[in-house]
Amino acid sequence: MTAAPGTTVTGAAAPRPAGRWRLLVLLAAVVALGVLVVASVALGSSGVGFADAAWAIGARILGSDVTPDGERVQAVVWGLRLPRVVLAVLGGAALSVAGVVMQGMLRNPMVSPFTLGISSAAAFGASVVILFGGAASAGGRTDPLVVAGALIASAGCAALLLGLSWIRRAAAVTLILVGMALNYLFSAVTAALQYVATDQQLAQIVRWTFGSVNEADWTQVAVVGCVAAVAFPLVMARAGALDAVAFAGDDAARGLGVDVTGLRIVGSITAVALAAVVVSFTGVIAFVGLVGPHIARLIIGAGHRYLVPFAAVSGALLLLAADTVGRTVFAPVVIPVGIVVSFLGAPLFLNLVLARKRSFL
Amino acid sequence: MTRCDEPRGTLQVTGLRAGYGRTTVVHDVDLVARGGRVLGVLGPNGCGKSTLLRALCRIVKPTAGAVELDGVDLAGLHRRDLARAVAHVPQATAGAFSLPVAEAVLLGRIPHMGMRPTAIDHAHVDRALTMLDLDALAARRVDELSGGQQQRVGIARAIAQDPRVLLLDEPTSALDLRHRIDAMDLVHQLAHEAGLTVVVAVHDLDLAAGYCDEVAFMHAGHLLVQGTPAETFIPETIKRTYDVEVVVTSADDGTPQVRPVPTATRPLLPALRVTC
Repeated sequence: MTAAPGTTVTGAAAPRPAGRWRLLVLLAAVVALGVLVVASVALGSSGVGFADAAWAIGARILGSDVTPDGERVQAVVWGLRLPRVVLAVLGGAALSVAGVVMQGMLRNPMVSPFTLGISSAAAFGASVVILFGGAASAGGRTDPLVVAGALIASAGCAALLLGLSWIRRAAAVTLILVGMALNYLFSAVTAALQYVATDQQLAQIVRWTFGSVNEADWTQVAVVGCVAAVAFPLVMARAGALDAVAFAGDDAARGLGVDVTGLRIVGSITAVALAAVVVSFTGVIAFVGLVGPHIARLIIGAGHRYLVPFAAVSGALLLLAADTVGRTVFAPVVIPVGIVVSFLGAPLFLNLVLARKRSFL
Repeated sequence: MTRCDEPRGTLQVTGLRAGYGRTTVVHDVDLVARGGRVLGVLGPNGCGKSTLLRALCRIVKPTAGAVELDGVDLAGLHRRDLARAVAHVPQATAGAFSLPVAEAVLLGRIPHMGMRPTAIDHAHVDRALTMLDLDALAARRVDELSGGQQQRVGIARAIAQDPRVLLLDEPTSALDLRHRIDAMDLVHQLAHEAGLTVVVAVHDLDLAAGYCDEVAFMHAGHLLVQGTPAETFIPETIKRTYDVEVVVTSADDGTPQVRPVPTATRPLLPALRVTC
């Protein structure tokens, strides 16, 4: 502590290798995601391979004439694989970013859209529609009534979460405890609904809760894409504020000019909207929102300027890889992505954690 | 001295009242912290020192009174402008997440930078790391450091913030003697050489007497007295503040030295009365 405090500061700072390294890791992840997207579109049990998929995409874009067999290929690629792949990419990115935001702004590594009750509320909403929707509801993920039920319930949960927390000025602990209480409440009510459901309704509810992108369509892609397009820039613009709260605490963050209450409100709305929309279309995929951010942190570090984009890419990679494995390894049997992602992700996460001698948070 | 004669960086506090919810912790405090000087805030645990510091930089919104920096009411500043003018170092808080030291110090540049840090921001970080003797620890994670080293990271972050006023909440509480002296030397340098206004909450009276140009004694949220150590370090003031008897002597350079008077010996435990 000997340097003169009054030393003039100039811009002749050394280059920062850590920043360049992180950028390279981020670019590598984007390239890996691109490769996986291509592979995933080209893989499947219908006999449509890489060349066919490339032709189908080119023909649709260029507006070429299509033969009857070509129409089948177009239907497989544009109607089944592409929306599924894009929804997995957007959904994985959205859930992972939602987890990063929640964990960072609440300074708690155990927080996720699942632990704060959003997924349980969506499951509750879907269950209510399946149970009481009668003939109006087909009960599947593409059924607008089921989606609406899940969306309304998760939005209601989010409103309750924010409303109750607002009374305590969005204190981190209050948000977490309110979220956990709502999670248990919605889980209990859903369990009660399952108890009184018929066998067919019970099967539909259980099937809904196995998260899946099986029934993805372009409407779902458009909705998730629009929410993500608004939410991601909002989060990136607050990366510095998230750093201040996550690493220095509320007081120090306020001393650094951060509007901590405002950050929690905007962050909660953004994260909850991302999670609620995805879960309403896909069902419960708990792993990506909770562990996805930690996997990203292990690889690229905890600073949010790189963590947020990397978590988006790695979350997308994780969900798409799981879905691709789930629909190809035991084809024609399709295993829901909500199951496969935990089977693939848990060993990867444990390996990353155990390979480190020190904490990664 | 009239207000226009005050040196740059003068923090004028008038009738400041602050607290939490319906509980008022700081009651109608008037004080002046002058540019290029160190003001020590002294008082027992729970007397409102930390709350006073938090109210000065509006982390806690005052319920009455005003804080002016060179005649500008801080209540009228945007929070980012306020953070450029006043830096606050809270007592150490352990978090769930941690960063390398250099990146933790870079947080101090948040009020100055946009989306990405510039070379100027990194230069401020490098200077702060050097000043706090943290160069060798720059790549280490903050949670792997000792409590004292973490405290130095907090001070480095505030220096990287490049403020005119520095508020330090017990910055020496976790430091060993060497680093305690280093930290107070730095505080003294920051005020006298860099011209910062430094307000520091401290517990150690001798440290305050040695390093602070002025001290303010607080008790139960009230400011009892403000003045130079030579003016204020008198047994009566210390008795009113801490409820302890002391003898105050002067060192060769005139710095007051406080020595407690041993209280009458009393048993640590009440005598056991055994009845059969």
